[in-house]
Amino acid sequence: MAGFTSLDDIVNEMTTNGKFRRTDWNKLTHAVGTQAAGTWYALPHSTGNPGAMTLGAVGTNLAFHPCTDRTAGAIPHGGDVSTDTKHIMNASAFSAAATTMPSIFMLVDMLGWYPVTTTTTTTGQTLVNSATVTASSSSGLLLTYAGWDAQSYTPVRFTTTTTLPTGLSLNTTYYLVRVSATTARVATSLANVDSGTVVAYTDAGTGTHTMTVYLGERAPSEGAGVQAFLTPSVALGAGTPNITLTYTDAAGNAGNTTPATLPQSNATAPIGQIEYSGTGAGKYGPFVPLAAGDSGIRTIQTFQYSVTHTSGTTNIVLCRPLLTLPMTTVGVASERDLLNQLPSLPRVYDGACLVWLMYAGAATPVSSAFYGHLDFAWG
Amino acid sequence: MGFASIAGIVSADTAGQTKYVTYRKVPAVVTGAGTWYDYSMAPGNPAPQYYAATPLSAQVLARSTDGGFQHGGNVAPLTKYVRRVTAMAVSAAGVPQLLTLCDYLMFYPFVDMGTADVQTMDNTQVLTRSTDGVGVRIMAVLVAPHGLVGDSFTVTYTNSAGVAGRVTPAHTMSTAIAVNGTILTTQQTGQGRNGPFLTLQAGDVGVRSIESVQCAAGTDVGLFTLVLVKPLAELTVREITAPTEKDFLLNSAAKLPVVDDDAYLNFIACPNGSLTGIPLLGDLTFLWG
Repeated sequence: MAGFTSLDDIVNEMTTNGKFRRTDWNKLTHAVGTQAAGTWYALPHSTGNPGAMTLGAVGTNLAFHPCTDRTAGAIPHGGDVSTDTKHIMNASAFSAAATTMPSIFMLVDMLGWYPVTTTTTTTGQTLVNSATVTASSSSGLLLTYAGWDAQSYTPVRFTTTTTLPTGLSLNTTYYLVRVSATTARVATSLANVDSGTVVAYTDAGTGTHTMTVYLGERAPSEGAGVQAFLTPSVALGAGTPNITLTYTDAAGNAGNTTPATLPQSNATAPIGQIEYSGTGAGKYGPFVPLAAGDSGIRTIQTFQYSVTHTSGTTNIVLCRPLLTLPMTTVGVASERDLLNQLPSLPRVYDGACLVWLMYAGAATPVSSAFYGHLDFAWG
Repeated sequence: MGFASIAGIVSADTAGQTKYVTYRKVPAVVTGAGTWYDYSMAPGNPAPQYYAATPLSAQVLARSTDGGFQHGGNVAPLTKYVRRVTAMAVSAAGVPQLLTLCDYLMFYPFVDMGTADVQTMDNTQVLTRSTDGVGVRIMAVLVAPHGLVGDSFTVTYTNSAGVAGRVTPAHTMSTAIAVNGTILTTQQTGQGRNGPFLTLQAGDVGVRSIESVQCAAGTDVGLFTLVLVKPLAELTVREITAPTEKDFLLNSAAKLPVVDDDAYLNFIACPNGSLTGIPLLGDLTFLWG
């Protein structure tokens, strides 16, 4: 049985069976623009160890782009362990750099992002989560589609109006192996994407087939606890628009909308800033507020600014928060024992893309170094 | 609704029925040791509110219209709770600091300190949360600085049993601090100053509405607002080298404070000196089920 049955079991798995990993990390605050007090920042695309993640226009504008532990910039946590389950045992963070305190670090599993290069329009923009596909077993097991340069490791599920190709199943998660901007193969696991082991379907099926992003493998009940934030990868130009998203919630209800006039984007938000966080009316942090009662997001359907930014690229990121570390003092580590908290031991799913968000409690200089560690165990 | 067990809490958490928010408030006024201060009027995030409404007319406060800590939308028929609170004050002047998290229910603005006449309230608006008044307290917040003459006042109110005409003892106004946000009945020393909430008539356990207020001498200048609040939780920031964290499940015998739908949440504080320019920051985690 996956998971730990007792404290003794944890000790046994970690010591006797060696199912333990320690990861040390070091991230620098963003290199451009002092991190403003009371404002949140996303650190995956800042430098350090792990290195900077490349957000922005990778693939198709407005289309879902997956993140995994294979993505450059993700904190390593030791690879896939299924059928065991992996958990964070404890964590720490500290900084020795002047004027970095106070701050709060939040570890999240970054599921993916939607790049938005079109920040200079007020038109509602439809995000890409699915595509109609044609399957061909005679041309290298390729799926062919249009309008979505789907990236490798994208988790998808298939639906059909009639019958799927023999070898593909409904209600089953597959991972894409990108071949070109309009073609991909499919694998049954992340590891099979690594190895290039793809599904050998034997016919094209009948009817119209659709592949749709599916995030349920890294979020309970598909979307539970999944939150969204927006962060530029190219600094935003002037403009303070309100941001509206429509999304499918964790219960599968489509068309839910964030509060109508909130949150409000910051003018000239630099790279890495969570663009609607800060001080004053319409500022939230770190996540976009959801409709009343919603407990998470499956996918986001549309994005709209009420007025334009004059330039820039932003990214709508989906993530699942795992833990927070408040820090008050330079040189003193914030340490978190996650065994004794409830619910204990945040789960790290296979493929989880662990990255940090930072709440700057004071104006924090550029390129300030933060350090820390994460202990993982599985069983 | 609510939780039947620890397992129920864990399930709600893992199902994403949580909301995490951060705050950072920086008072811009010179507060004093032992004199309580209302953080809802302090700049920062969440944005301040200033008790601006028609004088002496009841005005409901709500998250959706007035802000406060953004604990998320309504969850009824489920029940929302405060799960955890973190607070940090990293300047020595900011510690120790006692914080009380309150649901600000309703207020009566602009009580005039310059008259001894009875000032009668308009109760067209009524409580929308904690409607029975049980546990609801009265807080007097300075909104236009007074002359520190040491006048006193009494408040006539309807208690949580629905009995009108109940009267508080006389409460003496601060003779030490006169900045907006001061909780007027508090001070480090002196008689008749018993904390941030008015003492009620003997036997009363809450307030539904305020009928009138009367200053004893009416010779001061300045204005104050009477606020109906429901205290939810307390924590103390003790030092600058470690955050104060309170997990109500683990540290309060699982007594998780209930957050009503659309509650306006903010802190009041008893500082140890001036909080001007001293950030208070941290986070709150809410849970519903």
